[in-house]
Amino acid sequence: MQRSRISLARIPLAIAATSLLVACGGGSSSSDDDTSGGGSSTPELISIENTQKVVDTNADIAYALYSDAVDTAEDLKDAIDTFAANPTQDNLNAAKEAWLVAREPYGQTEVYRFRLSPIDSTDYASEDGPEGDINAWPLGEALIDYVSTNTTDFGDDQIGVTANGVGINGGGAITTETAASSSASENSIIGNVNITIDADTLSNTATADDEHDVIAGYHAIEFMLWGQDLKNDTELADRTTDGTDRDEAVKAYESGGQRPLSDFTEETYGERRLTFLQVAVDKLIADLEGVRDGWAPGADYRTAFTTIETEADAVEKLTEILTGMGTLSEGELAGERMQIAFSANSQEDEHSCFSDNTHRDIWLNAEGVSNSYYGEYAGYDSDLDGVDDYGTLVSGYGLDDYLVDAGLSDLDVLVQAALTTTETAYEGIDELARDGMPFDVQIMEENRDSDSPVYQTIIALNAQSGLIADIAEELGLDSDVVDDDASECDTTNPNEECGG
Amino acid sequence: MWRLIRHWGMSRCTPLSALVIRSVTVLSSSLLLSACSPTEIPAVLDSERLPAGTASVSQWPKVSFDRLVKNLPEAQKPDFYAGRALAVQPWIKAPTATDARDGLGPLFNARSCIACHKNGGRGDIPADDSEPLFSGFVRLSLPGGHPANGVLPEPTYGDQLQGQSTSLLNQLNQRGEDPLPAEAQVYVQWQEHTFTYPDGTEVILRKPELDLRELGYGPLHRDTQFSLRLAPAIHGAGLIDQIADADISALADPDDEDQDGISGRINRVWNPQTQQLEPGRFGFKANRPDLTTTVAAAFAGDIGISNPLFPAQPCTDLQSTCNAEPDGNNADGFELPQDLLELVVHYNRNLGVPVRTVPADNAGRSLFYETGCAACHQPSYVTTDQGPEHLSGQTIWPFSDFLLHDMGPGLADNRHDFDASGSEWRTAPLWGVGQYKAVNGHAFYLHDGRARSIEEAILWHGGEATAAKDRFTLLSADGRKSLLTYVSSL
Repeated sequence: MQRSRISLARIPLAIAATSLLVACGGGSSSSDDDTSGGGSSTPELISIENTQKVVDTNADIAYALYSDAVDTAEDLKDAIDTFAANPTQDNLNAAKEAWLVAREPYGQTEVYRFRLSPIDSTDYASEDGPEGDINAWPLGEALIDYVSTNTTDFGDDQIGVTANGVGINGGGAITTETAASSSASENSIIGNVNITIDADTLSNTATADDEHDVIAGYHAIEFMLWGQDLKNDTELADRTTDGTDRDEAVKAYESGGQRPLSDFTEETYGERRLTFLQVAVDKLIADLEGVRDGWAPGADYRTAFTTIETEADAVEKLTEILTGMGTLSEGELAGERMQIAFSANSQEDEHSCFSDNTHRDIWLNAEGVSNSYYGEYAGYDSDLDGVDDYGTLVSGYGLDDYLVDAGLSDLDVLVQAALTTTETAYEGIDELARDGMPFDVQIMEENRDSDSPVYQTIIALNAQSGLIADIAEELGLDSDVVDDDASECDTTNPNEECGG
Repeated sequence: MWRLIRHWGMSRCTPLSALVIRSVTVLSSSLLLSACSPTEIPAVLDSERLPAGTASVSQWPKVSFDRLVKNLPEAQKPDFYAGRALAVQPWIKAPTATDARDGLGPLFNARSCIACHKNGGRGDIPADDSEPLFSGFVRLSLPGGHPANGVLPEPTYGDQLQGQSTSLLNQLNQRGEDPLPAEAQVYVQWQEHTFTYPDGTEVILRKPELDLRELGYGPLHRDTQFSLRLAPAIHGAGLIDQIADADISALADPDDEDQDGISGRINRVWNPQTQQLEPGRFGFKANRPDLTTTVAAAFAGDIGISNPLFPAQPCTDLQSTCNAEPDGNNADGFELPQDLLELVVHYNRNLGVPVRTVPADNAGRSLFYETGCAACHQPSYVTTDQGPEHLSGQTIWPFSDFLLHDMGPGLADNRHDFDASGSEWRTAPLWGVGQYKAVNGHAFYLHDGRARSIEEAILWHGGEATAAKDRFTLLSADGRKSLLTYVSSL
């Protein structure tokens, strides 16, 4: 399950072990005598030339990844079109597989978020990028199609928003009131035949400044292919929950939702679901193309990002890269994508909750961070066996090289060790998931302890982000941070300037 | 009025407060006389640079109010980010098959906290009536009060207009016969007038006039009172929560016994946790007693998320389709149960305040004290140990007394809230006010966002703040600029 690239070859085991010890001891004061940058003079912390190389590689990887994301989304479209033309179980399964493959490059792109790159911004300034249309969740699934509910957990007075009476369990999970309720049948996009399912419908709604539920992007397609993940019985693979134990029900041991093929073959609504899939994948491709094109050589954004003329430019661009890496590591992935699910035992906070593919999201997000660090992109896993094996490969000058050339080899060793620790931890999540315990089961009460690879990954990501912050500090990027002890004020003279 | 003020400006106070105006007028002699006593300018302290003590946060790589306090213990970071997820990620319509994330609305203003408190900062307000208000809302009530609610809600719409509903039509931005319409769209038309300084400088001020469109549930009660509110910034809330009640009540002077023209009253508000009336300190009218209640109330009112402190759905008895909608309650009857509420409060509690960029000289600082701003914008406190250790014993600089003051008819919303009158407002904390633009790309001040700059906000001060405002207007252009630079640096 080891990835085919980087890592172990680059980090001799002994060094990794030593640096772990150092990290635990909290010090990093060993000598600098292994500066392998080759320069004879004192290395400069902010090098315009080396920053240029880092930034160029960073942009190359982004362009490669988003190109692969577009390509795999187009493969997904082909699979969906085939399924729409001929809705068989085999073709449904093929579409699901194409979706899983499409996630492989995209997951690695998320390190390009949080820095006003094209995924988050159309002009390198406003926060108006298409991310919300591409990868937002939790999904407003109840607005898209029927969802299951039951008398035990929601109460008799509560309705499911089914459109057509064909529930997860042949309609059995839907209350009788539901069937009689006219407002319910009008309350989902699939169910309300007066709504035209087209790009406009999805575009007008998907994000719009957080005013509306998420109904577009990868996860909308995922929901339409898999349905809600309700099944809790490994013995009877086709049985869905009767809802008597909701907490158990949502934690499927057999991965993912089990939307029946009949959802796509029934009159009217079957066609509407197929149309929804086709419209959603077209929009996804268009949105991804927009992001990819922003990274294309010569594009405005790329030109602006890769133009390093002054030391200030260098500081700014390095800051952007490190901000994306640090924010994704700590706040986003460890915190909002894992800790909340882990501490709340909350499936909704699971990234890919319909397909039970969250173990890959975690892996791929973290892999994106190390891609940025090493300046390498080893492609994506095109056959879902856990090994990157295909794609637009990039191997360039990374932050690791930059640190070494800046005379910060010790820090480089520490960062590499932290990335390796994270890698080991998220591989543990992946391994468990492949062995039949998906992420939503890994976060269940009885599985939550400090040995859990989920827990280990959260801790490792936090440690890793601390080191990413150390990079910024060591390079002096955060020089305008005011020191903690503001001792430069002359308190005896109130009219004296305070601080420098 | 400014002519009179200019006349007063002829005589001056002590050398120390060279620009404070001696005023002897029939209108407000006692008020200004006492204010005219030598104004003490406290010595500059080291700690002024760090508004939140060691909990202050860096401005690097960019200024944000949505940032964990610098001294948060490592072990608490996971909870901070878990809480942040609850504040940032959108809530969704119930029912879903999932545990913790459904229950939006059915009527709501926004799907997440951060939708309005973007980057932890203030809401945006449209420049004209071509688009509806999103990151704010209108509070409603009828004359009279309510012991636990503070106000008497409008019978059909409740005490807050919600501009969104979970209905499919609303979510798809489509119009038509909607069984569950949003309550209304709030449009604002701005009424402008010109303020002229004694030195002739003119400033255009604007006041909002509400235009409520698409009322979804019929006409409002004819006696309805309205109060437009723009989402406040949320940084530093944990430190404010940790100020001792005694420190605030020591500043209160409800009957103006010291005759400085400034009363300072404590609002007595309902605490659903202790089930009793307590001093209020959060909210534009200080109508919430503590951070937990404030967060829980916002979840219930703004997002429609029921919780142990506010278990009701955001529907009035007269909104039958709203009441008939599914909720996302757990077995205990909450969409946001106690443990998750605590996580999101933990997040709010640990939002830092950016370090200051201190001005090159102290001129503005001196003027701040001399003109009397500091009388209500009480600069500093030392936090108690009644809370997390890392927020305890911090010297903080919020610049507010957290008391109610009569701000005059210009700012009045003529709507009571608990003990707060229709013209009383809580002193706004000033820390971070100069960073609004950096945080949000726009800067709006006062409860309804009418002020587009700190200067405009000052010029709207009336009532008890009239004297201090007048002193400000009498400063030279340079003096005003210095003072504004100082306030912006807080």
